[in-house]
Amino acid sequence: MAFSLLAPKPVGAVGGQSGSVRGVLGTVLRYTVLVIAAVLFLLPYYLILRNGLSSEHDITSPNWTFFPSSLHWENLGELFSDPSVPMGHALLNSGLIAVVQTAGQLLLGSMAGYGLARIPYKHANKVFYSVLVTLMIPSAVTFVPSFVLVSSLGWVSDLRGLIIPGLFSGFVAFLFRQFFLNFPVELEDAARVDGLSYWGTFWRIVFPNSLQFYAAIAVITFIAAWNSFLWPLVIGQDPSSWTVQVALSSFITAQTINLHEVFLGAAVSILPLVLVFLFLQRYLVEGVAQTGIKG
Amino acid sequence: MAACGSNSGRASSGAGSLQQWYHQYGEKGTQQAALKFAKAYKDAAVTVQWVPGDYGSKLASGLLSSSAPDVFEDQLNIELIKTGQLAPLDDIFASVKDDFTDADVKLNTYEGKIYGIKMIDDPQFLYYRKSMFQKAGVQPPTTFDELIAGAKKLTNSKTKGVYFGSQNFVVDHIAPYLAAAGTSVVSADHKSNLLTPEVIAAFTKLRELYTSGSVLQSAPTEWTDPSAFIQELVAIQWCGLWALPQIKQAFGDDFGVMAIPSIGAQGKQVVYNGGWSTFVNAKGKNVDAAKKFVKWLWIDQTQYQEEWSLDYGFHIPPRKSVATKATKLQTGQAADAVKLAGQFGIVDDIAFTPKMATAVSDAGNKILRSGADPKAALGTADGIVQSELKRLFG
Amino acid sequence: MSETQTSTVAPAARSAARKAPVRRKNRQVRGRTGAFWLFVGPFLVGLAIFIYVPIVWSLVLSFFRAQNTVVPDVFVGIKNYVDMLTDSAFLSSLGTFTLFAIFIVPTTYLLALGLAVLINRARFARTFFRSVIFIPAACSYVVGSLVWKLSIFNGVRFGLANTLIATFGADPIPWLSATGGFPWYWPVIVTARLWLQVGFYMILLLAGLQQIPSNLYEAAYVDGAKPGWQTFVNVTLPGLRTATVAVLILNLINAYQAFDEFYNLLGNVPYARPPLVYLYYTALGASQDYGHGSAGALILAVLIAVVTIFQARVLGFGRASD
Repeated sequence: MAFSLLAPKPVGAVGGQSGSVRGVLGTVLRYTVLVIAAVLFLLPYYLILRNGLSSEHDITSPNWTFFPSSLHWENLGELFSDPSVPMGHALLNSGLIAVVQTAGQLLLGSMAGYGLARIPYKHANKVFYSVLVTLMIPSAVTFVPSFVLVSSLGWVSDLRGLIIPGLFSGFVAFLFRQFFLNFPVELEDAARVDGLSYWGTFWRIVFPNSLQFYAAIAVITFIAAWNSFLWPLVIGQDPSSWTVQVALSSFITAQTINLHEVFLGAAVSILPLVLVFLFLQRYLVEGVAQTGIKG
Repeated sequence: MAACGSNSGRASSGAGSLQQWYHQYGEKGTQQAALKFAKAYKDAAVTVQWVPGDYGSKLASGLLSSSAPDVFEDQLNIELIKTGQLAPLDDIFASVKDDFTDADVKLNTYEGKIYGIKMIDDPQFLYYRKSMFQKAGVQPPTTFDELIAGAKKLTNSKTKGVYFGSQNFVVDHIAPYLAAAGTSVVSADHKSNLLTPEVIAAFTKLRELYTSGSVLQSAPTEWTDPSAFIQELVAIQWCGLWALPQIKQAFGDDFGVMAIPSIGAQGKQVVYNGGWSTFVNAKGKNVDAAKKFVKWLWIDQTQYQEEWSLDYGFHIPPRKSVATKATKLQTGQAADAVKLAGQFGIVDDIAFTPKMATAVSDAGNKILRSGADPKAALGTADGIVQSELKRLFG
Repeated sequence: MSETQTSTVAPAARSAARKAPVRRKNRQVRGRTGAFWLFVGPFLVGLAIFIYVPIVWSLVLSFFRAQNTVVPDVFVGIKNYVDMLTDSAFLSSLGTFTLFAIFIVPTTYLLALGLAVLINRARFARTFFRSVIFIPAACSYVVGSLVWKLSIFNGVRFGLANTLIATFGADPIPWLSATGGFPWYWPVIVTARLWLQVGFYMILLLAGLQQIPSNLYEAAYVDGAKPGWQTFVNVTLPGLRTATVAVLILNLINAYQAFDEFYNLLGNVPYARPPLVYLYYTALGASQDYGHGSAGALILAVLIAVVTIFQARVLGFGRASD
């Protein structure tokens, strides 16, 4: 399973010839390619920081320099105090949406997944197919009809419209169903013999023993919610309901652009995810592997 | 502060609260001024939404939502009237009608009723660098042929000749391009002009300019922002009066203004008198309170109108009585621009709907950027314009 | 969870499910039905309201004129569908995006595979390289577009790409404006997308690589296969089948749903406008035409479903998971 990624094992057959000239050459070549790739992949991050901390004059100077002539940390204060840039509020909105959506998708999706995997019910298959069908319909295509619905509920430019439609992910329910099908049934049987209901079994036995899987799905869901753009763009018609992504996008297309503020805004917007990356990469890697291989 | 969004947009719509929307003005201080005006109004709590980005789209869907604005700025379009989105403003406007220019009154009138009150007139024209013109030995052009020839001379390794915009090169300038060729998309009797020789000639000439090698085709900021001109990326830029203080600060007297040159024999020089009008949402919950607020701000408070037009970017006040007091617009390049606007000014046609704009801009982009045959590309757009006209006027 | 646990648990679960109904009769069945709905109900209600209702509503709207309103106005039959299917702008957006998908899917796959193989074979600093390649996957498409549009490919002399080519004496390129010559916006869009998504697929393939048992390599070595290309073709590629299918399908669906970077990099231009951007401007842009917008969305949904099923068939998705 994917988790073995965390403890990489040497690939035997290839390792056998490490001493030969060809092997050394191969290693050098491999690392050269990897280093070039790494530099290219890191470059945009560097540009975000460079431009964010430069003066406007340095960014637009005809002579491109790798390092700005001086670092302008005061740009940060400017970003959050600029009244036309609701950055602080947008960060708050994004955080709230991502947290609530992650929690909601996990709760509802895992319960549904458990019910579908474990509780015998004669129409369970029909229910499962009705979930599967939603996987075939790409969520991005339903934005027009969904907007129609949400706008009739009066939820446009409203956190309810941003959060609630995103709480029900057929994909998450599907992943949990697959996961629970493979959950050791002996543990549950013991609990059932002790007189626990399905509800009790789920919360006392199944949930505590599946935390690793929950964490993996949570990290993926959080990133997707934080980065989502089309739906918040459609729903966030007035600036009080903007997410970070919509705010940034508005600055790209604004009547006048303040370059260093835009880049600093971008830097601030990716900071939470970089933190997730540094501390939860284990779960993230696992989540990606789960999403792809099981999906 | 309301515009920072401490108000969640779920604002209760009791009798005493109004939502007012502005697009994001680029000039520093405008947002604070808008908030100041709203706060000074005593009869209702006015929440100001300051909307950067694609204002047209955001406003259009925002009007369908429950937190729809009661008062908003926009440009009049017949669709808005036909769908009953706008409240007629004749009762509050009648007393000052004579103080507005005829063009501005006509712009916001449909079938005898007035729907909007012009807040600012924003003439669009070309800024040019006098020193660069001198060095290259170029005179301000009055025709597109002169413009193309001049731009070529002005282009060197550091600077291009002209900048009319990046992505919005076509879509934002359709009306003035065609006016410069002596025509328009929709004729006075509501027929499509797209397949007439004048329109085809206009797009052919634009293609010639675009591919001449002296156009800055892409920049981080659009034509609405004077940055490309200020950063000396170009010698000529299409922009508006609003940017004049910023340009003046950068170059002092080393710049001038000129009308958009004419295209072809029927053509004439053009200044596009854009700007913004204020409207009342007829489907809002507080139409009467909204009208009262509009009357207060855009009719009674002439000192605010003056401040809005002159203290940040420059705009021409639409009220004659205010304009005569606008001393800032009576000297230097500003005076030149105002004079050009009076001499060559054209205004929007409310029959030109967003759908038509997309169709014509698609055609224009195909002709200019991809080198499509003008007749074929315009033929597709012509079909769409005709079906829109049929839908609107039968 | 480990490999062995997974395989032993499955049959047990199945037999438990089979045994249960025999032991406890009718009352239990009712209890179970209640429990089922307790677990699945809340989710299903949400799914019905927020997925099924909108789709049905939109189906209704697609047969009506609905401009500047989200309620059906005037019944027009299939006119909206006819309009959309004869709308050259919509058709060309579908065509463009089929081409885009045909190009971006294999490119992403090959790049991700190459990097996964290199990282898998790296003996030191492996976690470092894995993280560096993976980290853009956490970046939003908006931020990616912003860096690409305003810094790297901004089309003026202070852009990074134009600075680089200027050192070779070339003129600045207006990357995002096409002028009939080379469509320079494609390299911009493709590199942005590759940067943003290659890491994600690389992780998937790396996970796949590490599931290939090392004794397969040893066996191939004993059989005389030379390490390198031969083992790669005979052992690695077949071993990666499941991961490959997952990467290709996910990637294809993503390509058809392209919106974020096109909206932010190019806006509403006819030469590289994905279907979703076109629908966005049709329905939610200034024209507010929900009838045509709904018809277009449904056409696109059907198209994506058909292409996905077709691709899954060709790649044998069903077989792979057996």
